[in-house]
Amino acid sequence: MNRTNLIRYAVVAFVALIVLAQTLYVVDQRQQAIVVRFGDPVRVVNALGDNSPGLKVKVPFLENVVKFDKRNQSFETSEEEIIAGNQERLVVDAFVRFRIIDPLRFYTALRDEQVAADRLERLVISSLRQVLGTATSEDIVSRRRSQLTRLIRDDMERRVTSSRMGVQIIDVRIKRADLPEANEAAVFERMKTARQQQAAEIRAIGEQQRRQIVADATKQAEQIRGEGDAARAKTFASSFGRDPGFASFYRSMQAYEASMGQGDTTMVLSPDSDFFKYFERGTGAR
Amino acid sequence: MPWNDNANPGPWGSPPPPENKGPSGPRGPRRPSGPPPRSSGPGGPGLGDFQRRFTQQFNEWFRDPGGRPRPRAIAMLAGGVVGLWLISGFYVVQPNEEAVVSTFGAYTRLAGPGLRYHVPAPFERITKVPVTTLQRTDIGGIPGAEAPDESLMLTGDENIVDLSFSVTWRVSDAPNYVFNIKDPDGAVKAVAEASMREVVGRTALQPLISTGRGQVQAQTLVLMQQILDSYRAGIHIDEVQIRNAGPPKQVVEAFREVATASQNAESSVNVARGEAARIVQSAIGYRAQVVREAEGEAARFNQVYDQYKLAPAVTRERLYLETMQRVLANSNKVIIDGKGTTAPVVLSPDLFRPKTATVNGSVARPAEQGR
Repeated sequence: MNRTNLIRYAVVAFVALIVLAQTLYVVDQRQQAIVVRFGDPVRVVNALGDNSPGLKVKVPFLENVVKFDKRNQSFETSEEEIIAGNQERLVVDAFVRFRIIDPLRFYTALRDEQVAADRLERLVISSLRQVLGTATSEDIVSRRRSQLTRLIRDDMERRVTSSRMGVQIIDVRIKRADLPEANEAAVFERMKTARQQQAAEIRAIGEQQRRQIVADATKQAEQIRGEGDAARAKTFASSFGRDPGFASFYRSMQAYEASMGQGDTTMVLSPDSDFFKYFERGTGAR
Repeated sequence: MPWNDNANPGPWGSPPPPENKGPSGPRGPRRPSGPPPRSSGPGGPGLGDFQRRFTQQFNEWFRDPGGRPRPRAIAMLAGGVVGLWLISGFYVVQPNEEAVVSTFGAYTRLAGPGLRYHVPAPFERITKVPVTTLQRTDIGGIPGAEAPDESLMLTGDENIVDLSFSVTWRVSDAPNYVFNIKDPDGAVKAVAEASMREVVGRTALQPLISTGRGQVQAQTLVLMQQILDSYRAGIHIDEVQIRNAGPPKQVVEAFREVATASQNAESSVNVARGEAARIVQSAIGYRAQVVREAEGEAARFNQVYDQYKLAPAVTRERLYLETMQRVLANSNKVIIDGKGTTAPVVLSPDLFRPKTATVNGSVARPAEQGR
C-alpha cells in the first residue's frame, strides 16, 4: 500500500511537471518569441517596443514557442570586388547591423537566422554594387564615404522593407575599401618613386645649399682680402710716396736680396759693373 | 590489470545500504544472499563495521520504531535543502563590477559592488559586468603578430598606410551592454575598423605618419562613440591610440631613403658652414697679416728714409753695397771680363748647381727680412 501510493504520487508529480514545462516558458530580455499553434503563428511575446520579458504561459502541447534574438546583431560580408563608377576596381567589405522587428514576418519569410543572414548578405552586396557603381573610387575611399554609406543603408532598408522580412537595418558600414592586389602593387611602386624623387630633390637642395654657403663665404673672403690689400697699398703709398726715387731704390734692394740671396743662383758678372768699380780700377776709381 | 581487479568497485562498492530500500524493508543490515562481499575491497572489515554503525545511527534518527520515516526528519531534510538553496543566492560583486539581475529573463535591477543577494535559479539570474575595468581591443595585429589585412589602409591621397591601433573602452551602461547588442566586443572591433578607415580615407599620408595622428585619433574616437551610441551599446570609448603608423613594408626602404637624404643634406650643409667659416676666418687673418706687415714695412721704410734724408748719397751707396754683399755672398759667382774675347766662354755645369742645402737654409732668413 505504501509503495503503490508512492508510485502514484511520483506519476502525478511527473505528469504535472511535464504539463508545467509545456505551459510555462521564459522569454529572456534579449529575446522575442512567437507562439505557434499547429504551425500557425498566433501571437508575439516581448516584441520590439513591447517590453514584456519573463515567465509566460501558453496552452500546453498545442502551442509551440519559437524564439528570436531581439538584440542589435551584425554580420559581415566577405570581401567583394566591385567596380567603381570610374572603372577602377576596389575590394570592399562591409558589416551590417540589424535587428528583427517583426518576428512574425521574419518567421514566415525566413524561418531562421541563418537563412536571414544569407538573404541579407545577398542584399547588401547588390546594394554595394549598385551604389558604389555610381561613385568614383576617390569618392568611395575618401570624399563621400559616409554619404555613400548612408545611401547604401537607405537602399538596403528599402529592399528589406519591400521584401517584408521583418528586419530593420540599423547601420551599414563599409569597413575596408582597398585596391585589389594588382593595383596595390602599382600604388606601392608609385609611392616608392615619389619618395625617391623626394630624396633626390632633398639631396639636390642640400648640394645647392652647400655650394651657396661656400660661395658666399668665398665672396666675403675675397672682399676681406681686398680690404687688406687696399689697406696695404694705401699704407705703402703714403710712406713710399714721400720720395718715389728712393723708395724705388730701396725696394729694389730688398727684391734683389729676396730673389737672389739664397745661394741657388749662379751669377755671371762683368767686372765693369758698379759693384766692381774698385775691384777693376783700384783705388783710383771714382 | 589493477582496474580489472577492482571491477567490483572499491570502498564504495559495498552493497547499497538497506535504508535506501523502501520503508517496508526489514530492519537492520540486510546482506544480499550469496557469497559474502569480497568487494569490500581495500577498506576491508573496518569499513564494513563503520557502515553498519552508520546505518544504525541513521535509522535511529530518521525512522520511527515502525520503520516509517519520521515526519520531523523529513521536514528537517527538506528544510536543509531549501536552506542551502537560499544560501546559494548570495553573491559578491567586485568593486569593478556591476551585476545585472534578471527575473525569468526579464531585467529587474542593477546591483553595485558588495555582498548581494538574489533569489537563486531558476528565478533570478545575475550577469556580472566589469564596468570600471578598461578593455582593450587591438586592431591591425599586435607586435609579433601583425595582421596586414587589418592594418593596410587607403589614405585620402590614394597612398597606402600601415596603421595599427588600439581602442580602450569600458562598459558605461551595463543593462544596455548586456541586453541591447549581440557580441559587443565584436561590435567594438568592427566599428573601430570602419571608423578608422573612414577617417584615414580623408587624411593624407604625410600627416598620418607624422604630426596628424592626434587629430586622427580624436576624430576616430568621436565617430566610434557616435556609432556605438546609435546602437545603444552601453559602451564608452576612452581612448583611440595609434600604435604604429608608417609606410607599408613594401615601400619602407624608399621612405628611409628620404630620411637618409635629409640627414645627408643637413650634414652637407653643416660641413659647408664649417668650410665657410674657415674660408672667412682665413681671409680675416690674411687681411690682418697683410695690413700689419705693410704697416711694419712702411714704418721700416720711414725710419730708413729719415736717416737717408740726412745723408742721401752715402746711405744710398751703403745700402747698395750691403745688399750686393748679401746677395753675392750666397751665390755662385763667375766674373768674366768680356772685353777682347771673341770666342764664347764655356762654363762648367758644376757652377750652376746650388751651393748646398744647408746654405739654403741659413740664407732664408735675410730673404724674409727683405720682404
